[in-house]
Amino acid sequence: MSVAGGQVAGEVVTGEAPAEEEASRAPLKRRDNRAWWLVLPVVLSVAFTAVIPLMTVVNFSVQDVFSPVDRVFVGLEWFQSISRDPEVRAALVRTLLFSAQVLLLEIPLGVALAVVMPRRGAWVSVALVLVALPLLIPWNVVGTIWQIFARGDIGLGGWTINNVLGINFNYTLDPADAWITVLVMDVWHWTPLVALLAYAGLRSIPEPYFQAAQIDAASAWATFRHIQLPRLRGVLTIAILLRFMDSFMIYTEPFVVTGGGPGNATSFLSILLSKIAVGQFDVGPAAAFSLLYFLIVQVFCYVFFTVLTRSGR
Amino acid sequence: MLDWMVWTVPTALVFAGLALLLVVMAVWARLSPPVARRGFLRIETDRGDRLYIGLISAAVVLAGWIAISDLSMWLALGCALLVAVVIGIWG
Amino acid sequence: MARVNGRRLPWARTVFWLYVATLMLPLLWMFGMSIRPNEDILGSFSLVPQRVTFDNYATFFTDSAWYSSYLNSIVYTSLNAVLSLIVALPAAYAFSRFRFAGDKHLFFWLLTNRMAPPAVFLLPFFQIYQSVGLFDTHLGVAIAHMLFNVPLAVWILEGFMSGIPREIDETAAIDGYSLPRFFVRIFLPMIRSAIGVTLFFCFMFSWVELLIARTITSVNAKPIAATMTRTVSAAGVDWGLLATAGVLTIVPGAVVIWFVRNYIAKGFALGRV
Repeated sequence: MSVAGGQVAGEVVTGEAPAEEEASRAPLKRRDNRAWWLVLPVVLSVAFTAVIPLMTVVNFSVQDVFSPVDRVFVGLEWFQSISRDPEVRAALVRTLLFSAQVLLLEIPLGVALAVVMPRRGAWVSVALVLVALPLLIPWNVVGTIWQIFARGDIGLGGWTINNVLGINFNYTLDPADAWITVLVMDVWHWTPLVALLAYAGLRSIPEPYFQAAQIDAASAWATFRHIQLPRLRGVLTIAILLRFMDSFMIYTEPFVVTGGGPGNATSFLSILLSKIAVGQFDVGPAAAFSLLYFLIVQVFCYVFFTVLTRSGR
Repeated sequence: MLDWMVWTVPTALVFAGLALLLVVMAVWARLSPPVARRGFLRIETDRGDRLYIGLISAAVVLAGWIAISDLSMWLALGCALLVAVVIGIWG
Repeated sequence: MARVNGRRLPWARTVFWLYVATLMLPLLWMFGMSIRPNEDILGSFSLVPQRVTFDNYATFFTDSAWYSSYLNSIVYTSLNAVLSLIVALPAAYAFSRFRFAGDKHLFFWLLTNRMAPPAVFLLPFFQIYQSVGLFDTHLGVAIAHMLFNVPLAVWILEGFMSGIPREIDETAAIDGYSLPRFFVRIFLPMIRSAIGVTLFFCFMFSWVELLIARTITSVNAKPIAATMTRTVSAAGVDWGLLATAGVLTIVPGAVVIWFVRNYIAKGFALGRV
């Protein structure tokens, strides 16, 4: 599940130099364990939606379940078969590759977009809303948009490539074309998030920095390289982490556009998982798969969280 | 009602163990509040953090082992526990 | 301050609006698709619709399979936003005002759930919601989506609440306000914008989610997104209708963002990242 736009507001609001902030306000917070009563509803609701399901997944993962009463304990067999399944491994490599490409494309593009975005005048809010628009479209509709747009016969994008550029392009038949379509779609969908974060970061740079640069008659590039870019480190860390997590869990958009195909070309981890879980209803292997997937995400999650909150200390 | 959770003895034991661990940590925190310090992980951690890192690392060891090696999983469990303990004490 | 943020590149404006135009292209194309007759879509390729028709929209709003699933989505999404907010408000207050045993770990654990791949939860969700009788109900989907929306709501609200000085709480306490009365009468009105932003994001993320909603519904609470995947039939894909549904699913999000746009801008202004 994507963290997406939520963090635009959440992160930007809370994201001011965590270490510093904590140091300055920690003594003000009262220590009071009765606060647990306030947190209780959240804990209960998340327990129902997350903990109990997770326990169930663990139980599934060590058994061959035919029905609640007819089941066999198989130990770690599913974990072994899933972790050695070439298809799963290929999907893992594919997903990592996809995430890497997403980062390489979206981060520079997002920063460039933030640099050229208007900062004053009546057009600022229009620009913000227009740039943010792709983030607000339901993910399956993003898929639909590109499913249509990239078609060679009825889509503007696909038609242009085929008939104007004269390149044979068909994402339903050619694995490379399918990959490119999904990648371009993701860039279209998520670069705005990077741009908005970077934009917020750029706006926070104090004016004197620029005045100094002007006095030194620094070139636009030098100003960017030595003043803007270093100050963007914080937001860019957030952007990189967010985009990594989200692209690593991508499901809906490629599912709509390619359904994982042609062949296995765009069959990412979550697509493969839901195929096993819902399509074939192989409860045991799907559960083991889920847990391994969840473990990978947990590890990244913790490393990211640590980097984010403790790098300042 | 709980039929669909298809409990087994080993998984029940694992979760009971985790629950017990949480209770122990809570009681311990009452007796002597945790102190944050810096170990070989080079980040500031208190004992709760180290417990979490230790458990996750142990899980990674187990998962990696089962994916690569045909040696006994008991050996893997031993290594995993060792990793967890090392992180818990010196991390 | 002659120039905010230093020198502006001369071609910056051009590049930016060019990018926005590119961004809009696929959207406009989908809209164009929704207002042509199906024969034209498949018949001959043309940039501008030859004949304009609103038949697809008429079909959408007269076929109960379409409009009822559209309503389903709106119902469970709204329900989810309200539930998430109610649950998250006290917790966010606790995180922003108190230190308590395990607070940091709890906060991190909540965020972990936000980042868990939903595919992981498919299996048990199917089982659980069937066994507790929430399968294929609006409430069921609303509760399932709390999985990722509650942590998000706590996170956003905590950020806003931390920006409000604690002295206000203390003054109210001295004036004889009990915590619940203070919270409802004084604190909630102060964080109106935060509530707006939170509701917006909860609505949005519940609205865009397909995987879980599709798994735990069949007929009565079927989301619009699931209906959209069934425009594929033996006769091929009904592109016009699919595009129409696509256009219409963008509307609620666009409406909601229009109402909260100032709050979101404020959110940006608040945080000097």
